[in-house]
Amino acid sequence: MSFLTPLAFTLAIAFPIIIAMYLLKLRRTEQVVSSTYLWQRMVRDVEANAPWQRLRRNLLLLLQLLFLIAVIFALARPFIWVEGSSGAATILIVDISASMAATDVTPNRLEAAKDQARLIISNLPEETRTTLIAAGEGARVLVSSSTDRRQILQALESLRVQPVSSDLTSALELASAIAARQPDSEIVVLSDGRVTLPERLAIQGRIRYLPIGESGYNQALTLLTLESSPQREMLTAFVQIANYADEVVQRRLTLSADGRLLDAHDLEIPARGQISVISEIIPSETEVLEAALTEGDDLILDDRAWAVQRVSGNRSITLVSSGNRFLETALGLLPGVETTVVGLEDWKDGSLETNQPTQLTIFDSFTLTSTLPTGNILFIGPLASTDIFSVTGGIEAPIPRPAKDDDSLLAHVDLSQVSILDSARIPLPDWARPVIVDEATGFPLLFAGEIPGQRIAVFAFDPRRSDLPLQPAYPILIANLTNWLLPAQIGDIPAQIDPGDVLTFTPPPEVESLTIIRPDGTSTQLDIREGRAIFGDTGQVGVFLVDWKVGRLGFAVNLSNPQESDIQPVESLPLFENMATSDNGQLQQARHEFWRPLAAIALVIITLEWLVYQRATLTKVWHSFFQANKKLTSKT
Amino acid sequence: MSSIERQSTQFLFDEAFLRKLERLSVMSRRTMSGQLQGERRSTKRGQSVEFADFRPYSPGDDFRRIDWNAYARLEKFFLKLFVEEEDLTVHILVDASRSMDWGQPNKLEYTLRAAGALGYIALAGLDRVTVTVLGRGEGGKGRRGERESGGIDYFAPHRGKQSANALFTFLENLRNLEFINEKSSNLQSPISNQLRSYAARAQSPGPLILISDLFEPPTTNLPITNLPITNLPIYQSLNTLASKGFEVTLLHTLSPDEVDPDLTGDLKLLDCETHAEIEITADYDLLQRYRTGLSEWQAEFRHFCGARGMHYVPVETSVPLDELLFAWMRRYSVIK
Repeated sequence: MSFLTPLAFTLAIAFPIIIAMYLLKLRRTEQVVSSTYLWQRMVRDVEANAPWQRLRRNLLLLLQLLFLIAVIFALARPFIWVEGSSGAATILIVDISASMAATDVTPNRLEAAKDQARLIISNLPEETRTTLIAAGEGARVLVSSSTDRRQILQALESLRVQPVSSDLTSALELASAIAARQPDSEIVVLSDGRVTLPERLAIQGRIRYLPIGESGYNQALTLLTLESSPQREMLTAFVQIANYADEVVQRRLTLSADGRLLDAHDLEIPARGQISVISEIIPSETEVLEAALTEGDDLILDDRAWAVQRVSGNRSITLVSSGNRFLETALGLLPGVETTVVGLEDWKDGSLETNQPTQLTIFDSFTLTSTLPTGNILFIGPLASTDIFSVTGGIEAPIPRPAKDDDSLLAHVDLSQVSILDSARIPLPDWARPVIVDEATGFPLLFAGEIPGQRIAVFAFDPRRSDLPLQPAYPILIANLTNWLLPAQIGDIPAQIDPGDVLTFTPPPEVESLTIIRPDGTSTQLDIREGRAIFGDTGQVGVFLVDWKVGRLGFAVNLSNPQESDIQPVESLPLFENMATSDNGQLQQARHEFWRPLAAIALVIITLEWLVYQRATLTKVWHSFFQANKKLTSKT
Repeated sequence: MSSIERQSTQFLFDEAFLRKLERLSVMSRRTMSGQLQGERRSTKRGQSVEFADFRPYSPGDDFRRIDWNAYARLEKFFLKLFVEEEDLTVHILVDASRSMDWGQPNKLEYTLRAAGALGYIALAGLDRVTVTVLGRGEGGKGRRGERESGGIDYFAPHRGKQSANALFTFLENLRNLEFINEKSSNLQSPISNQLRSYAARAQSPGPLILISDLFEPPTTNLPITNLPITNLPIYQSLNTLASKGFEVTLLHTLSPDEVDPDLTGDLKLLDCETHAEIEITADYDLLQRYRTGLSEWQAEFRHFCGARGMHYVPVETSVPLDELLFAWMRRYSVIK
């Protein structure tokens, strides 16, 4: 034990002063009494008989000396070295990703991380400012540079596991930014290491990684699909199970349709391998198929998966064309799509009379002179301007290039081999986003967007004047476009999404508000703004239901994330290997002060001293209170 | 209504109270010889209606007292003797030392009122009453002339209700009397000495009522508790009084603040009588011990008096006087 301010011990000179005051008895008030006869009798009695009573008489002195000792020690600020963090600021990053729910440490990894964090916080010096960052879907600063321990501990307590992969990169960037503002900062990462980190990350401040977790015994359902085939009445379920343990495991897979057990398979999964199961006895009326692995492993979040069957009615497309074989073939490949081909003249005459409302109209090399039809529209190689875009010229031999890397319309579409003869030059309208652009001029070759109530996509070039229709990319692109332009009955809700994903969809125009029912039964009202509904609270796994009074549609949220399912804790993060200041998993020495309990003891002693000093009065007060109380009770 | 009673209302008592007092009388357990004809049985033989004894006739006896019936049976002369009824002298000793002029209600005032009431009871019962003031001045020598005529600290034996006025005036003067000399108070002899000299002087012993707080300045340097109780001067003096034939009643007056002192903190206590100093730290313990000491002290007196046929009546001045007289003193059989 050492002292921060040993100078406080000079206060010890107060000891002789207090004792001298007692000896000199300076503060005696003179009081005349009728006779000191009895007092003399008694004081002599005391002095003659019991020397120890003299000590008792000096109980006040004793208490005052004890008080002084406690105060001096508190002021000297004693401390001991303990393991922990020391520094002006500490930034705690707690991983709350799905793998932190693993139960290889009791009760689970997140609780173990919380315990570690509590230990670090309790060993921090008084004045250390602490920041708490939760690394889940994005990084969240829960407490920023606070010295209020209670607030930090409360925030720590409120942490819950999210079934998402952890975004440690942004958490570290955030911590680094905070550390840059505070000198002598230390960043402590509490995680199992199942994170993705960029190769290079400049971090300010010292950084420490405390790995959480012991084993990696886990199996996961990595894939569940439900397919219907026109030939069969039954549905087909495809399940993929991965084993992340270093041993062969026996697990049982059960499949239930709408809560009814249908099928069970006993599986032997090789170490760090995966197997697939196909079940073809799923009734076609099944709405929700649930696959589950029985007998627990360390992470139960990925032991269940759900698939939702979309019963989509026939989607109708009106193709206004003078004949386009490629397009008609591509559309014909799409399931549940009914295509009506209308000749250019028929349209021009306005003699198109179909009772069925068209959901998608495709104008193939057609100059639209009348107003836009209702429903979504795909323009292919427009020859002239319309209300919503202008054709300002032509481009010779444009080089197609994706405008964005991860555009869903270009999923699995390879444009590198595509050559285009020419294209119309259409400046990008403000309602649209470019999908394919010309590398040379930057003009869009394919753009898509929404005007109120309608989705519009425009091919600036005619695919027939390119080699695109001859490539595999063409039917995929057409399928992507059709899926986007012909969403299921309610907007474009995908059947399956990952936890934490934001769901954006277009509800039917007449729907004003929606209710989303979560797997745990809670529900949320969703407002629709400009024809779009956005739902981001997909932090649970299970089947969500979108309910719009006249109908409902489900979508499944499954944790199929190998990074989170492989729960083998990582002992050392690659990030820190090159950092000179890091000391992985090693707790530092920190000063632990304990002047507070001493100050509390001093307070107790001084209170006791006052009580002893005033006990005559207090007894009197108590007695009179007791008497009054007695009188009152006897009266009543 | 007599003039005596009317005057006395100014200081001590009202008429109704005096009339109530007339119903009481000072009790005496023994018969004693008195000086004048009274209402008390005397040790002498005399002329009351109460038969006492026979005695053989001897020449010179009043033959009117010869019991002729006895003569008829025995043919010898016997005289019939009757109990004589005489008066008693009730001695009231009032401690008027400085320590008595203390407290709320004032002990001296209370004492004087008690003395007045007891004196009036005795006077109304055709007894002789004498009041002696203790704790003032030298207590005796060389002031005999004054004492016999009835000076400021001595009320000579008086008899009959007509003397009540004189008694009350005496007591009232005493109340208004200033303490003469601060310094001389140190020289005054303690009560125990004054009691002993009173016992030596007294001529006609009878009921003696001592009203005092019994705070006596220590006359010895020895610790008080080391002495046997009966060796203390006050006890010796009481013994002397009892052996002289007095029926002693000790009316021990204490004011409420002496019974339960309202003191806190570090104090230097000054004795208003002896100017002695004592330093105390009045904490809960000490006050508790003080109360214990006080009750032990009173118990000592009670034990001492009980063993010697004396009455010990401890009283706080907060007790109303009529309660003291009509309840307490009767219970202790001092008056009836």
